[in-house]
Amino acid sequence: MLVKHSVLKRRLGATALLGAGAALLVYAVWPWIPMARGARIPRTIVFYGFSILGDVIDHGVFPEFQRQWRQRTGERVELVSSFAGSGTVTNQIVLGVPAQLALLSLELDAYKLAEARVIPPESWRRLPFGGVVNRTPFIILVRSGNPKGIRDFRNLTAAGVRIVHPDPLTSGGANWAIVAEYGAGARGSADPPRAGHDLLLGIWKNVVAQAASARAARTQFENGFGDALITYEQEALWDRARGRLKADVVYPRSTILSEHTLVRIDRNVPRRDRDLIDAFVRFLWTDDAQRIFVKYGFRSVTESLNEGNAAFGRIEDPFRIADLGGWKRAKREIVESVWKDRVLAEMKK
Amino acid sequence: MSAGQTGRGSSVFPVSVLLLVLLPLLLMPLAAVFVFALRGGPLAFWDAIRAPEAQFALRFSLLIAFGTTAINAVLGTLAAYVLSKYRFWGDRTLGVVVNLPVAIPTVVVGTSLLLLWGPIGLLGKLLDPLGLQPMFRPAGVLLAHLFVTFPYMLGAVKPVLDELETTYEEAAYTIGATRWTTFRLVLLPALRGGLITGALLTFAHSLGEFGATVMVSGNMRLKTQTAPLYIFAQFEAGDIAHANAIAAVLALLSFTIFFFLFRFASRGKGRSAE
Repeated sequence: MLVKHSVLKRRLGATALLGAGAALLVYAVWPWIPMARGARIPRTIVFYGFSILGDVIDHGVFPEFQRQWRQRTGERVELVSSFAGSGTVTNQIVLGVPAQLALLSLELDAYKLAEARVIPPESWRRLPFGGVVNRTPFIILVRSGNPKGIRDFRNLTAAGVRIVHPDPLTSGGANWAIVAEYGAGARGSADPPRAGHDLLLGIWKNVVAQAASARAARTQFENGFGDALITYEQEALWDRARGRLKADVVYPRSTILSEHTLVRIDRNVPRRDRDLIDAFVRFLWTDDAQRIFVKYGFRSVTESLNEGNAAFGRIEDPFRIADLGGWKRAKREIVESVWKDRVLAEMKK
Repeated sequence: MSAGQTGRGSSVFPVSVLLLVLLPLLLMPLAAVFVFALRGGPLAFWDAIRAPEAQFALRFSLLIAFGTTAINAVLGTLAAYVLSKYRFWGDRTLGVVVNLPVAIPTVVVGTSLLLLWGPIGLLGKLLDPLGLQPMFRPAGVLLAHLFVTFPYMLGAVKPVLDELETTYEEAAYTIGATRWTTFRLVLLPALRGGLITGALLTFAHSLGEFGATVMVSGNMRLKTQTAPLYIFAQFEAGDIAHANAIAAVLALLSFTIFFFLFRFASRGKGRSAE
């Protein structure tokens, strides 16, 4: 009796395992079954982007393109996308991921791709607006109610203000933040290099935490670390639109508008898909696409469309990387020789 | 059947110490995943799971896990058989090498696969012009998982083979059985427990693999993104709810697998004691 019972139990266990395994297998292969019967696999666009683009591309811009393309040609196309830090995306592409388009946070990353011979030098400059798809200014996030009374970058240098900052060695956003800080100090000053350096040093003396990416810095801040965070306006606005923002946005008197550069990796585009990629690239600069960017909190390269988002704050003296001589020069003269060589050394004193 | 209950002295103290340590270490984090996953209500949870990207990631992970398990069941058993039955020059070294994946960080596995098969890798450079590029494709993910989980099948099967008396095999040969027949009728039934345990372990590890996958997959949504990568991507994008829903599903799957593992393991012991 006892033996039979245990045999029965064993059988039952084995059957349950087999059944569970089979059920999982059926579930896993399900979507591929009709495809095997000859359904056509849709053409795809492989798109890599830096982190804050995930929502707007996946749920805003691409679905609209997909709809219009279908209307025009009757063909259904799909997007294959991947989002990570701008530097990570760049390195992945250098290593050979099949990205066809990449929207990078920093033009410097486009130069890196050109250096690695993934794309022809400065090929992105031939795109509309020099490859810049959209912009967003760098702003200061402070605790609700602004208890430290922060109104501008200058106030960040006051004693007792604790700042969370992403690390410029790994983060594109951090590089933008550094040139924003330097530029804000330098502009309108009698001795720009000195004023820029002083503001940068003052701010960095108060940096209490450095995170690997703008996103990670954001997470630290959200978890209650620090009094202020310098970050993309888009992130703050998009969070606020979804009722998720638990902080106040402070617009500095003078700050930089970050510009996000599109690159086309033609070696990953089969000839038969050229038309599709061309169409999508063109679409990114149409008013339809730009309006979607605006809705998601990015500032359009078409200035007139920016009235479409009432949440955009006013910046008295906005500037761009071109005002600082372009990224190559800014990287060398501001990030490397001022921030890295001088500010970091002086901070230790 | 039930072991234990043969406590000498009070078990209250050691058991409560163990529980006190395990609670924050193991049990509470696992519980937190479920609490957070269901925070937005069951409807939000359901929506998060039904998202096409999430569904793809789950299915893709399962397919890779099935593939990995099937292939490593064969390869692992072969390796176990060879290492257990034959003595040859370098057999010890080979025994260490096949177990190496347990010790190597998975990210390193991913990097080395890229440096070998990737478009700029040693072999990949030659294959790339032929259009045979395994990296950043499902095949690359499968390769990484085969590598990472290889030792589990081996580890489950080899001890059984080591202990198995060769007399049965020899008896089979003396009555004219071929090697294959002997394997099928003599060895395989004895290996059943080990095979199942190894398969479950392999499956579970493949399902949760992150380090190597993130390097070789290209992390493309709807194409090569596995469930763990999906969780991380959602987390990075600040979408904790979506991340947690899939995390909860993965955890549930792992619990189920573990439940079966435990049953088979305890039964194996019960049988050998009979």
